[in-house]
Amino acid sequence: MTPPAPASPDARIDGPALVLRVDDLVVRYGAAVALDGVNLTVARGEMVALIGANGAGKTTLLNTLSGVLTPAAGRIELGGRLAHVPEGRELFADLTVDDNLRLGAWRAPSRDTGPIYDVFPKLRNLAARRAGHLSGGEQQMVAIGRALMAAPDLLAVDELSQGLAPIVVQEIGSHLVRLNEEVGLSVLLVEQNARLALDLCPRAYVLETGRVAEEGPSARLRQEAAVQHAYLGGHVSS
Amino acid sequence: MSALLQYLITGVSRGFLFALLATGFVVIFRVTKVVNFAQGAFVVLGGFIAYSLLAAGVPHGVSEGLAVLATAGIGLVFGAITILGNLTPVAALITTIGLAIASEAIAMLVWGTTPLSFSGLGGTDLHLGHVLVQPQYLLLIGVSLVVLVGLWLVLERTYVGKGLTACASNPYAARLAGINVKRMGLLAFGLGGALGGLGGVLIMPLFPLTYDGDVNLAILGFAAAIVGGLTSPGLALVGGLVFGIAEQLVAGYWSQANETAVALGLMIVLLLWNAYRQRAEQVA
Amino acid sequence: MNGAPRRRQPDLPRAVALVVVGAATLALPLVLNTPQLTIYVTVGLFTMAVAGLSLLMGFAGQVSLGQGAFYGIGAYTAAIMAVHGWPPLLALVLAPVMTTAIAVVLGAVLLRLRGHALAFGTLAVQLIFLSVLSQTPSLTGGDVGLSGIPALGIGSFTLTSHLGYAYFVWLAAAAVLLVSRNITRSRPGRGLRAMATAPSAAAATGVNVVSYRLRDFALSAAYAGLAGGIYAFYLGYISPDAFPIMLSIEFVIMVVVGGLGTVSGAFVGAAAITVVTQVLSSLGTGPTLPAQLPAVLSDGVYALILITVLRLLPDGIVGACSRLARGAVAAGARVARRREPPPVGEAEAAPVVASAEPAQPEIAGLVPPRRGA
Repeated sequence: MTPPAPASPDARIDGPALVLRVDDLVVRYGAAVALDGVNLTVARGEMVALIGANGAGKTTLLNTLSGVLTPAAGRIELGGRLAHVPEGRELFADLTVDDNLRLGAWRAPSRDTGPIYDVFPKLRNLAARRAGHLSGGEQQMVAIGRALMAAPDLLAVDELSQGLAPIVVQEIGSHLVRLNEEVGLSVLLVEQNARLALDLCPRAYVLETGRVAEEGPSARLRQEAAVQHAYLGGHVSS
Repeated sequence: MSALLQYLITGVSRGFLFALLATGFVVIFRVTKVVNFAQGAFVVLGGFIAYSLLAAGVPHGVSEGLAVLATAGIGLVFGAITILGNLTPVAALITTIGLAIASEAIAMLVWGTTPLSFSGLGGTDLHLGHVLVQPQYLLLIGVSLVVLVGLWLVLERTYVGKGLTACASNPYAARLAGINVKRMGLLAFGLGGALGGLGGVLIMPLFPLTYDGDVNLAILGFAAAIVGGLTSPGLALVGGLVFGIAEQLVAGYWSQANETAVALGLMIVLLLWNAYRQRAEQVA
Repeated sequence: MNGAPRRRQPDLPRAVALVVVGAATLALPLVLNTPQLTIYVTVGLFTMAVAGLSLLMGFAGQVSLGQGAFYGIGAYTAAIMAVHGWPPLLALVLAPVMTTAIAVVLGAVLLRLRGHALAFGTLAVQLIFLSVLSQTPSLTGGDVGLSGIPALGIGSFTLTSHLGYAYFVWLAAAAVLLVSRNITRSRPGRGLRAMATAPSAAAATGVNVVSYRLRDFALSAAYAGLAGGIYAFYLGYISPDAFPIMLSIEFVIMVVVGGLGTVSGAFVGAAAITVVTQVLSSLGTGPTLPAQLPAVLSDGVYALILITVLRLLPDGIVGACSRLARGAVAAGARVARRREPPPVGEAEAAPVVASAEPAQPEIAGLVPPRRGA
């Protein structure tokens, strides 16, 4: 994978350098509109946060990107392979950690799980354990590891922090940042925990009832009163 | 004593037939959540196809092998009809009832309504104490055991087998991992067809088959599968043996007419126990 | 809410249809010959059995493969009592009573099962029923069956002609359909519908799922028991061969074809399948044709129906006609109130107009949930 171009954020969001481009995406459940004209891009090597309240349409967006849901209108362009770490981890509970990882490579050339254990050394000793018996943090590592086995160009993580202790979230988050910095993996981080997402990702989108309400560098969003009020509990974090 | 031994041998043979059927139910249900009512039809069609091939002069072994391949193909077709599209489990069950009736119609048209049989493995009967055992019984038991153990190894040890388990365990995650869940469902139906066909070619020399014998076979195979909650191949084998032996013991020591009623009563108890267990799990 | 006036609108065409069908079915026996009258009676009896199953399948979202057993239990109850000298009319009344009692006992146990488990459980009940029949020759005549069942009657009046049975069955079927209609419109009916769409939600709103399902199962058995009782008197002879597994499957086919949970669908399904079977039987019978051809043909058609109808017409003939009519009414309403926005979303959820009761756009267990467009 190519390392991120050392340019300004704006220069990075250019046509050929994009790994994901979503144009005017509309998704409906029956008569209800879940996504109403969403535009979003992720550049190669970029780490982007998508924050929003419960029901804003974040998971719907990821499921549409993965092809589980069919859009009613709009366009999705993927510049490579997408791997989706679903909300709630969704492991194969009856199978071992190693089997879970290997199954992530169903469409990928290599089923060698070694590199994943290099990323998450903790999992090495758990390789033969059933995935359903692991702690939440360990399960999240397996879920991310399984997605990485697909050798993705873009990793979409849904609710990284859900149900996990802050210290565990910090640890896994730092793994993601390292992957992003060292091998240039593009990451789309979908989070209800806006503070965490804004800390990890330099750029972010705010999704509100199916529309992108705000978009820009995390540093700026963090200072905006509306975002602070709605997602950061009214405190200025720095 | 020799009567008991005779019942046990017959019961174990029937038990392996039920186990093959039950394993077919399990393989298909785990991946697709469909209960395939047409599972018994694979047995009848497999046996009948082998019968016709043998009658046409195709040698033993080849005939049976081709018949099993044919039922695997029929299984694929049945699977395509049942799981492609977006049917609910109950609608899919009704669809497989339709497929079972279609199979009966075809069997009736091609092979007629009289019971059919063909001679199985030749050779002299073996003496087991005072009991004579036809070699075909041993063939049935041996081949079924090898196939069931082999299938278990495939499911537990191979990558494709784990893919099938993944689809059973979490279809959504399997799909996200790039596994084509529908295609795996078709594979499961193909396997189910082959298992049923194998049962048919092995049992037909011992117990003649009739075009409409599929419903009774299906319900006994289902009963055996229920022992493992429709999801455990190992317990499906246990269930098959339990029902096979129980059937022969009831028939031998009580009355042949009661064997079905006893087996079905046992099945209802198992179904209720399963439902109770599931509810308890949901509450827990 | 403009749903209320639209609900009333179709009442007139529906009433007209009801009168036309009622008059036609009443007049029909007068022009039919004896074999045709037999078919007529069969349609009536099957309508009753199917009306019960339709309640269970359409409203509880459950499939029973044992409806044929209740039909048989009714027939045997009536036959055994009548043969032993009980007044025929009392024997006929006791047929549904006995069937209901057995259904309550069985249902209390079996209705803990759902979906495929209930289907196989009820199938087992029918197989056990057949096994019991052949095991009790002194009571039921065993495999040979029971003959010499006296004609239905009271006092000196006995029902002996085919025409008489045709009208008696018409009355019984009409009564059954009327009861069904009232039940589907009553509060329990709405409860059952809630149960079909979302059992847990229904339970949460205080609908007693188990007791409604049991009531439904018992009623469904009562209908079949009454039909079976009439059948025994009509034929004068019954044997286990008359109640094969295939009969239960045929009832399921009739429900599917007519339309799940629709009262009129029971009649439409029973009539369509019985007539088609008869036509195929006469087409397939001939001196040069193989003896099994009629069975092959009817099985083939059954299979085709079961496989295709759930996909193409998941709500059966009645449901499809209702949708057409509803579309026409909605279009008419749109023309009449051009200034209002077209009621697209509403039309989907609006009540069925031409069938005898409100639609169930989503029958749990049989119609897949609508996915995002």
